[in-house]
Amino acid sequence: MAEPLERLTNLLALLLESRQPLTLQQIAAELRGQYPTNEAALRGAFERDKSVLREVGVPIEQQVLGGNQAGQTAYRIDRRRYELADLDLSDDERQALQLAVAAVRSDEAWGQEGLWKLGIGGERPSRAVAATVPTFVALPPLHEAVAAKATVEFVYRSVERALDPYGLLLRDGYWYVIGRDHGHDDVRTFRVDRIAGSVRVGVGSSFERPPGFDIRLVFPSDPKLLGEPENEITRAIVRIAPTRAALVAGEVGAAAVVQRFDDGSIDVEVPCVNRDAFRSWVLGLTDHAVVVAPAELRDDIVEWLTGIVGVIS
Amino acid sequence: MARRGPRPAHQRLKRLLVMLPWLMQRGEVSISEMAKHFALSEAELVADLELASMCGLPPFVDELIDVYIDEGMVYTGVPRVFTRPLRLTAPEGFALLAAGRAAMALPGAEPEGPLGRALAKLAATLGEDGVVVDLERPVIADEVARAAEAGERLSITYWTPARDESSEREITPRAVFVDRGHWYVLADDQRSGSERSFRLDRILHFSPTGVIEPLRDVEVPDTNRWFADDTDIDRVTLRVPTELVWVIERYPVDSTKPDLERDGMTIAVMPVTSEQWLSRLLLRLGERTDVLEPGRWTMLAAQTAREVLARYAAVNPSS
Repeated sequence: MAEPLERLTNLLALLLESRQPLTLQQIAAELRGQYPTNEAALRGAFERDKSVLREVGVPIEQQVLGGNQAGQTAYRIDRRRYELADLDLSDDERQALQLAVAAVRSDEAWGQEGLWKLGIGGERPSRAVAATVPTFVALPPLHEAVAAKATVEFVYRSVERALDPYGLLLRDGYWYVIGRDHGHDDVRTFRVDRIAGSVRVGVGSSFERPPGFDIRLVFPSDPKLLGEPENEITRAIVRIAPTRAALVAGEVGAAAVVQRFDDGSIDVEVPCVNRDAFRSWVLGLTDHAVVVAPAELRDDIVEWLTGIVGVIS
Repeated sequence: MARRGPRPAHQRLKRLLVMLPWLMQRGEVSISEMAKHFALSEAELVADLELASMCGLPPFVDELIDVYIDEGMVYTGVPRVFTRPLRLTAPEGFALLAAGRAAMALPGAEPEGPLGRALAKLAATLGEDGVVVDLERPVIADEVARAAEAGERLSITYWTPARDESSEREITPRAVFVDRGHWYVLADDQRSGSERSFRLDRILHFSPTGVIEPLRDVEVPDTNRWFADDTDIDRVTLRVPTELVWVIERYPVDSTKPDLERDGMTIAVMPVTSEQWLSRLLLRLGERTDVLEPGRWTMLAAQTAREVLARYAAVNPSS
């Protein structure tokens, strides 16, 4: 019997070359001597080969025949769907893609596999800049669904969701999918690494993205807001001690510095969309930051700290 | 090349389907060049090509793939099948786009350059893709990356949160990288005489020294393993309200499990890089969080909260 690789290659070539769909009996006859003759063993071996080809990415189509072959399943590969579209990349564009993949670290080798198909290979060039892009099995189907405008279904926080995905965003090291949640009939954001199990992709062209949609603007500024409606934005004034002034000014931007004092401390004006997130940011600076205004936010922090002291003493 | 076990058939097939069209386009190529291109050993490559040349369908047995090897060279004849590579799979298409978008957000990328054009072509075949990579690059990243490319030593003021102090040091940047939302520079540190990573947002000030050192390649570290795997580092056991677990998830956590005795609470074990760091974390977690272990930190939150309250008393807008 032929080596598995040889039989797979022959099966693939046969289905690519054939002008009409072939039944399993026809396939076994063409590849004689390569499949078991026993009916059950033949079917088992063929199913394994078929799933290997699908795993590799080969689009095998199947249909149930009519006429004198009624009820039998026949298989074919559409060459146009099998072959890579010509991207018409120039040499410098190929090189740029190679550098891009080399600069990005991922857990999976998907990028390199893709490069080979585009005719790009060889040793990975080393670079002085690099980014880590996390990968999850949920990402490719979500991406496909965004491109095809297909509704997806998945389980998130133990709840079954149906979502029209508008886009994917990598921010702060996490991937998010954003779209219209059917259950809430509203735009919601989900962390991709928290999607439990598989993502089911529905039929294409089942929704339209809102015109002018920009994922960066829709994204809630704080993970605590995920799946929550947007709150009103309050502006807070925070006094930053001299030892942290440069650090915080670098973080929030020079435009947010509203006052500079002789001792080197500064006042910065920062948005507070979500109270928990704001408190978390201010307290991360411990006694180097004091909320000056509004009184409501200042009191909130004082109350929070008093609570911590009170419980223990 | 690292030692590997026997390669499964699907991996060999996948590679074969990209090797054959590549080979047919060239007609002839040396085994060593082809092996290097496809990250295979020469023995693996020859085995796969010899097997491919055996493939065939009646009446063209052994003639499907016209490949032969002679004196270190691979030759192909008239292409019959597998003249074009297999289409990109969903993971491959996604990975290329995401890598490209990430690279566009790195220092030195030009929107109108070849990468931008390549990504536009890729996106056109994959459909309206909606993939956005936002690396929120600080201004300093570009200048430090330029120093890394030139091998130029920098003088920096660096803030160390563990000791809550800033220090002057000289570093020679080797690589700038972004991981989990933070930007770092991997550099030769003059003070310690070793390679160290510095967070860019903690460099308070920097200036070029004019000293140029020879370039060298470096391996960018995996920040996930920086301190999380270091068993020398102290651990803290916390009882955290489950709805606040998101606060600690941004840091390496050894384990989290529901508290079986108290509803709605989670027990978390995490490495502690410094007491200052832990006190900040405890302030943010609030009064319902307790340190269970070790005993010396059970009062830490209250002490720190008192210090901060003292500042609030001192900086009072209404007085």
